[in-house]
Amino acid sequence: MDRGEATGFGVALAGHAALLAVLSIGFATVRQPPIMADPMEVSIVDEVALTSAVPQPAVEPPAPTIAPELGPPEEPAPAPVIEPAPAPPLPAPPAPPQPKAIATPQPKPAPMPKPVPVKAAPPKPASPKPAPAKPAPAKPMAKAATAPPKAAPAKPQPAKAATGSGKAEKPRGSMLGKDFLKGLGSDPAPAKAQQPTGAVMSPIAMSGIVAAIKRQVQPCADRQVNPGPGASRIQVKINLKLNRDGSLAGRPAVVSTSGVTDENSRYEKRVADLAIAAFTGCSPLRGLPDELYQTAKGGWSNFNMNYKLPD
Amino acid sequence: MSVSGGAAGAAEMMSPIALFMQADIVVKAVMIGLVLASIWTWAIIIGHALRIKRAARENERFEREFWKADDIDGFYDTRGQEDLPAAKVFSAGLTEWRRSTAGKAVDKEGTRSRLAMSMHSAVTEQVDRLAERLNILATIGSVAPFVGLFGTVWGIMRSFSDIAGANNTSLAVVAPGIAEALFATALGLFAAIPAVIAYNRMSYGINRMEARLIRFADGFHGTLSRELEFEG
Repeated sequence: MDRGEATGFGVALAGHAALLAVLSIGFATVRQPPIMADPMEVSIVDEVALTSAVPQPAVEPPAPTIAPELGPPEEPAPAPVIEPAPAPPLPAPPAPPQPKAIATPQPKPAPMPKPVPVKAAPPKPASPKPAPAKPAPAKPMAKAATAPPKAAPAKPQPAKAATGSGKAEKPRGSMLGKDFLKGLGSDPAPAKAQQPTGAVMSPIAMSGIVAAIKRQVQPCADRQVNPGPGASRIQVKINLKLNRDGSLAGRPAVVSTSGVTDENSRYEKRVADLAIAAFTGCSPLRGLPDELYQTAKGGWSNFNMNYKLPD
Repeated sequence: MSVSGGAAGAAEMMSPIALFMQADIVVKAVMIGLVLASIWTWAIIIGHALRIKRAARENERFEREFWKADDIDGFYDTRGQEDLPAAKVFSAGLTEWRRSTAGKAVDKEGTRSRLAMSMHSAVTEQVDRLAERLNILATIGSVAPFVGLFGTVWGIMRSFSDIAGANNTSLAVVAPGIAEALFATALGLFAAIPAVIAYNRMSYGINRMEARLIRFADGFHGTLSRELEFEG
């Protein structure tokens, strides 16, 4: 080994050491974190929500059918909430219109009026028991018919007719005596009938809600640790019910899981727990539109969340 | 564990040292051998490049001065002992000349052939000396890829048996073993590629030098041969 070879050996050794150092440092620093796939998706439970944004027509049957049954009489509660103006002018208006009211609803009114008043009447006497039995409104009326004497206030009759026919006849109903309505006051039915006119769950509104939910849950979802190989292929669908303030109304329920294979089946339970934990960790949700809490087409009071672990 | 932490972990896992540390013992041996081969290759490349370059330069200078010199014996006394291929050839020829012409009767043909033979053997000896390490480059260049491939095959075999043992085929389990196995082939190529390139370049350089030495020897032989005729 002469001088030239010694030089060559030294240079080669130094070169390899330098290369090794560069590679070590390079591998440690140059790498970029891989872009993570979005592991989570949220969907509102009501499937129809996506297809229709048209306000739902009031298909619900009018309130009167229920009213008689519930009719805890004495409550003078301001049922009129639903009824527009008519309430106040108790004395004056009722009297004159009455005849009219009877006259107009010729076909139906004839049979109906009689039973109706009966019903309205009994409550007042504070003897609601007899009539209130399950049977449909019409029948009880018939039974109660025995009590007509009380019903003396002929006014109620038209009122019943009015409520029975739905909103369309409101004006007419208004002409009836306010007191007649008192008996029906506590009935929630009319309120229900009005709902459809409120906020509607449109696709746009829904995507906004979904995005808001995702945005708030994502941080918690990203923090989850993968319990084992293959677990990130499991997809869990959980159902969440919320209160109006955005907090959970109950324990989230696992609706379904998919992507479970022999290999990762042992992680299924764990992933489901993680999915729930991801949500509970970041609840209550904030900033969700209150008017869309619950609509006829579904709302964020009840939604499903698909969850996958980050890969 | 955060995302960046995971990436950093993967990067650490991919650094050469980490790949080496987690490799199987056989693969480790292969890697060590290949790294040593690479170092050796480069030592030879650098050492030879320096030596051949210097030899070529000195030879040229020596020949130039030789053809200018009037007194061959005087030139031999001053420059004949240098450690140069051309000087060795020159001294071999002159030594043979002195021996052959020392006696009373000179056999001209025999002297000529002896001169040619001695100088020719001096040329081949010098070329052999220059080329003595080239066979190592050739060997490394042709064998290192196979050695690396052996390490890779072995490492992948091991990976697969690990997979079978773990009952798990996720990439996270398979990848490190494959990566470290492939690292062996990478090292093999890393050693072999420079070796092959250097071998070809140096063979060419040595061939050129041999041709040059032979021309010098022929020229010197011609000079001595003429001398022989004048003496006769």
